[in-house]
Amino acid sequence: MILAPAQDVLKRNNVTVTGNPHGRTLVFAHGFGCSQAAWNLVAPHFEEQYRVVLFDHVGAGESDLSAYSRTKYDSLHGYSDDVLEILDALDLQDVVFIGHSVSAMIGVLAANQDPSRFDALVLVGPSPRYVNTAGYQGGFESADIEALLDALDANYLGWSAVAAPMIMANPDRPELSARLAASFCSIDPEIARHFAHVTFLSDNRADLGRLTVPTLVIQCTEDVIAPREVGEYVHRMVPGSTLTVLEATGHIPILSNPAEVVAAIRDFLQ
Amino acid sequence: MSETDFERRYQQAPCGLLSTTPAGVVLDANATFLRWIGYRSEDLVGKPLTSVLDAGSQLFYETRHVQVLHLQGWVSEVALTLRCADGSRLPVLVNSVLVDDRKDVVRTAVFDATSRLHYESELVRARRAAESSEERVRLLQDVSIAFGVTATDEEVAESFVAVAREAFTAIECSVHLRSEAGVLELVAGVNPLAGKVPPIEVLRNTSDFVIVHAEEAESEFPLLAAGLRLARLESLSITPLIDGAERLGILVCFFARRRAFDDHFFDLHRALGRQATQTLVRVRLQRQLQHLALHDQLTGVANRQLLQQSLDAGIAASRQTGAQMALLFLDVDNFKSINDRLGHSAGDEVLRELAERLRTGVRVGDIVGRIGGDEFVVVCPDTDLDGAMSVAERVLALTREPIVASGVPVAISVSAGVSTYRPDRDAGQTGDEMLIRADGAMYVSKKAGKDRITLAPDAHQPSPRT
Repeated sequence: MILAPAQDVLKRNNVTVTGNPHGRTLVFAHGFGCSQAAWNLVAPHFEEQYRVVLFDHVGAGESDLSAYSRTKYDSLHGYSDDVLEILDALDLQDVVFIGHSVSAMIGVLAANQDPSRFDALVLVGPSPRYVNTAGYQGGFESADIEALLDALDANYLGWSAVAAPMIMANPDRPELSARLAASFCSIDPEIARHFAHVTFLSDNRADLGRLTVPTLVIQCTEDVIAPREVGEYVHRMVPGSTLTVLEATGHIPILSNPAEVVAAIRDFLQ
Repeated sequence: MSETDFERRYQQAPCGLLSTTPAGVVLDANATFLRWIGYRSEDLVGKPLTSVLDAGSQLFYETRHVQVLHLQGWVSEVALTLRCADGSRLPVLVNSVLVDDRKDVVRTAVFDATSRLHYESELVRARRAAESSEERVRLLQDVSIAFGVTATDEEVAESFVAVAREAFTAIECSVHLRSEAGVLELVAGVNPLAGKVPPIEVLRNTSDFVIVHAEEAESEFPLLAAGLRLARLESLSITPLIDGAERLGILVCFFARRRAFDDHFFDLHRALGRQATQTLVRVRLQRQLQHLALHDQLTGVANRQLLQQSLDAGIAASRQTGAQMALLFLDVDNFKSINDRLGHSAGDEVLRELAERLRTGVRVGDIVGRIGGDEFVVVCPDTDLDGAMSVAERVLALTREPIVASGVPVAISVSAGVSTYRPDRDAGQTGDEMLIRADGAMYVSKKAGKDRITLAPDAHQPSPRT
């Protein structure tokens, strides 16, 4: 791995550092379909006690789109290399890496590559493989992933065609909402397609058993993306891991039920 | 308006209306929505909305829709596909808003968009197909432009690696070409397995395009499977470059992810492989022609043109560095009598063997050439008088061994003339003049009894008398 200069890395991944500079470091990594904004309702709760690092994966949010390379990011290793570069650029050791959805597996790969950087891992809604295969239920067939790509196409075509939103949460300042949405969750359509491919067609089951870092698995009730069985599989395969099952449903508890996620992380850190 | 009026308008609205929790659990749904999907209210309420979405929409809803909704407070015109009770699919457009005051209810309006989404998806498909074939054409065009300016195997290999990496989204690619000894050698790109996995001949010699996945190679190629894993690779592909019966080499692509390789991928591999093969053949043919144009066909040593070039280059280098250079002019003694006695083909054999001995006798960097029937020249760059004399002596000693031609041992000797070039003294001298001086010195050797070396006098002195 050729390391990019620190400033370039921090700009490339739109890295932000907030919170208590003397506290332990928590690194939050967002999943597919959004940016670091996905942690807006969780990360601020840790700022008093911890140093909080947030970043956008290349292709998401305000990352440097020109840094996107189809060859580098054709596997999750491209993203996990970026995580290690960010830790190196900030000269961080012993971080707690908190990854949501696909970033849970990105954290696993990074921690396997360089365990010395990691104190602990928190995996929120992890899935090492989304597609069913012999002896393993990931929850989806490969045709379903193709259907997701169709859904992406259908929606990006719609977005580009629509100029004025029909419903506005902040009618006084519509430009604000629109701008925030654009920066919060903006993803380049072509990159999103490729990222979807890489995310939902990867198989990283073999990497779970190699983890040597204390790990918390946070599993939601009724998550169609990462079903309960998958969370239990991850827990079983990661040596010495802890499993916490939330009452929250769906795949995005960090936004739909942030309080429960904050409590689970706090419990684990203490 | 009475409450029942409102109720009726809600239930019978020309769009589906529903409320969910922020996590997507259905709280209520109007009659229109229930009629569309064919479920009763009690079947749906309390269940996640994802339970009536098709798989692609589930993935999109949970990853994109929910996140944008929470952060922005609303989403509009999201295209989803409902899974109805009878198994049919209903494409819809959805607007959702997180209710402002409470933040714990999401209100959603659902519009039947069957024809619009069908039409749009046709458009998208058509566009993708067009893009895909356009990309293929562009790629093949790019590669033919890149290959067009290549002049060496290395350049062809470098271009091929660059194009293949982009075309196949491979984390690394490498091109291995067969050396003259028949060994595959890395010519361009990176082989992440080099030194880690011993070469597997059956794969390297494949005559068909082949893909190996780490997952399935465990039993057949355990070392390869382990090596792939160690290098964080899932698959590799091998494209043989074959021209007729000749195996020129292979292209290897390495993939960090197990992918579903489709026909498009295979076709493109083959097409690019064919183009690379043709280019390699062309480059080699050109090289062969170039060699033929600059070399003596009988003996394989340099011809007059190449000698002239080497001589001029040697003089130019001398002028620049101040080092001396030298030239040997060699003429076979009594060659005409060999031809007369044993015939021309024996004469040719003698010349071939002599050329071979000359090549053996000179140093690395010296250029041996043939400029006439039995006349050879050696250009010795960066060489002073002593150096030139010792080369000449060594060459003459080698030529004195009898040569077997047409089964008969033939006694042979050579007369030599040596001219030197000293940049401080001979600045204005040309290659032709050096040749004439060495030729003159060779004549002195002949006249003095053959099989000897004569040094040409300095350029400003008169030529030796014959």
